[in-house]
Amino acid sequence: MDECKVIIMGFGSVGQGVANALSMKKDLIKDKTGVNVKVVAAADSSSSAISQDGLDEELLVKTKKEEGKLSAYPEYGSDKNGADVLDAVEYDCLIEATPTNIVDAEPALSLTLKAFKQGKDVVTSNKGHLALKFKEVVDAAHEAGVEFKYEASVGGSMPIINFTRDTLSSCEIKSIKGILNGTTNYILSRMTAEGSDYEVILKESQELGIAETDPTQDVEGIDAACKTVILANSLLGIDATYSDVKVEGISNINSQAIELAKKDDYLIKLIAEISPDNLQVSPRLVKRGSSYDVSGTLNMATIKTDLADEVSVIGLGAGSLETASAMLTDLISILKYKN
Amino acid sequence: MRIDLVLELLDIPGQLVKVLEPISGLGANLVTVIHKRDYKNDDGKVPVQLTLEGEREDLLNVITRFDDLGFSIIEMDGVVKKEKITTILFGHIVDQDLRDTMDRINDLKGVQIVAFDIKLNGEEKSTALINIEADVGKKQIIFDRIAEIAEEKELLVINEV
Repeated sequence: MDECKVIIMGFGSVGQGVANALSMKKDLIKDKTGVNVKVVAAADSSSSAISQDGLDEELLVKTKKEEGKLSAYPEYGSDKNGADVLDAVEYDCLIEATPTNIVDAEPALSLTLKAFKQGKDVVTSNKGHLALKFKEVVDAAHEAGVEFKYEASVGGSMPIINFTRDTLSSCEIKSIKGILNGTTNYILSRMTAEGSDYEVILKESQELGIAETDPTQDVEGIDAACKTVILANSLLGIDATYSDVKVEGISNINSQAIELAKKDDYLIKLIAEISPDNLQVSPRLVKRGSSYDVSGTLNMATIKTDLADEVSVIGLGAGSLETASAMLTDLISILKYKN
Repeated sequence: MRIDLVLELLDIPGQLVKVLEPISGLGANLVTVIHKRDYKNDDGKVPVQLTLEGEREDLLNVITRFDDLGFSIIEMDGVVKKEKITTILFGHIVDQDLRDTMDRINDLKGVQIVAFDIKLNGEEKSTALINIEADVGKKQIIFDRIAEIAEEKELLVINEV
């Protein structure tokens, strides 16, 4: 294989990050794998740009930013969207970056299954289909004999899935505990630093774009619970789904609780715990100065193993290029494997 | 072999004798005993330091007997055996019978609340930080008990990781 044609589905923050990162790293990917990556289509929720000869990544981002939709892409703009784009062009790998949907996992689920049926590899940053139907999706990839990678679905740029599978491959994984949501970590960190109340910091976080206008997925622990399911399935072999996770968010945490914790040298963090007898997302006390003491939007995870004991990883849990870095790493590992 | 133990005794008459009695009966020898009654721990108990000599099995029997008699071993060969557990509760802690909450934790064998710090917020929900000291291996029992109380009284629990 000397050329890999990719489709980027979903052109929000993550999709644009992938386009930008590809434009920056094309030569590096060529050096590392001998493969030339070409974007043959990119699609947002209502339109797309499609060209078998390849699209310009920077122009895709510019068009989306300035015109609001990809159909405005010069010459190759199209009204095709969703699954139709997968039929409109020859491709090798689907880079799926549509928004997470925790109700019915769409459109990610249909797009991913369709790509598998077409015999194509998929790299995703989406959590919905993995949290609701992990086994079904992974089995479908296996049956189709294609590669399916989802490092970006947990922890953004923080390496965890590939790291645990590849670098800790000699170890049995006993448990994983960590901070898997950057927004709540940011809110709790600022409440701790400033002694302010939850509502005040949440509002400021929304103004800064760190928290969404509807912050429910983050502050109620839903996002972290989805990641809990993905890690449970992929790294501990637990056949779990979203409803198996006990979830408690941070909206009940007030400045008094944080102050009391501080007096005893503790911090309050939203911790995801993944072990064979406990799948849980809840506010927990962590010792100041421990590996859980990371602030701002950082994510972290401590992986408890049989041979290596505890290994911890830290990284930026969200962000356009950061998440794209994990998707590109997945793409590179597919290309290396195929060659 | 020898072991060094530190036990905690209640500050009431007859405790030291009760500790020393089983030692020879179980085939172990007492090498040293240090007992300073005017030194007390945070919870008012008196530590006693023992050095015992004997066969490994006999020494283990002595330890088991101490456990049966309810003497908590807080240190063995210089290693502290007591566990400290910190937790935060949030909810209507006082209205939901605070005394009952504390009693139900203290009722667990080898478990004691050593500090309780509560922030009241008028009629609103209050927040409390509880420090618990427990014999080794009791952590899960304590977490289970707190979870049970919390569910019944609709309290949010923030446990240590």
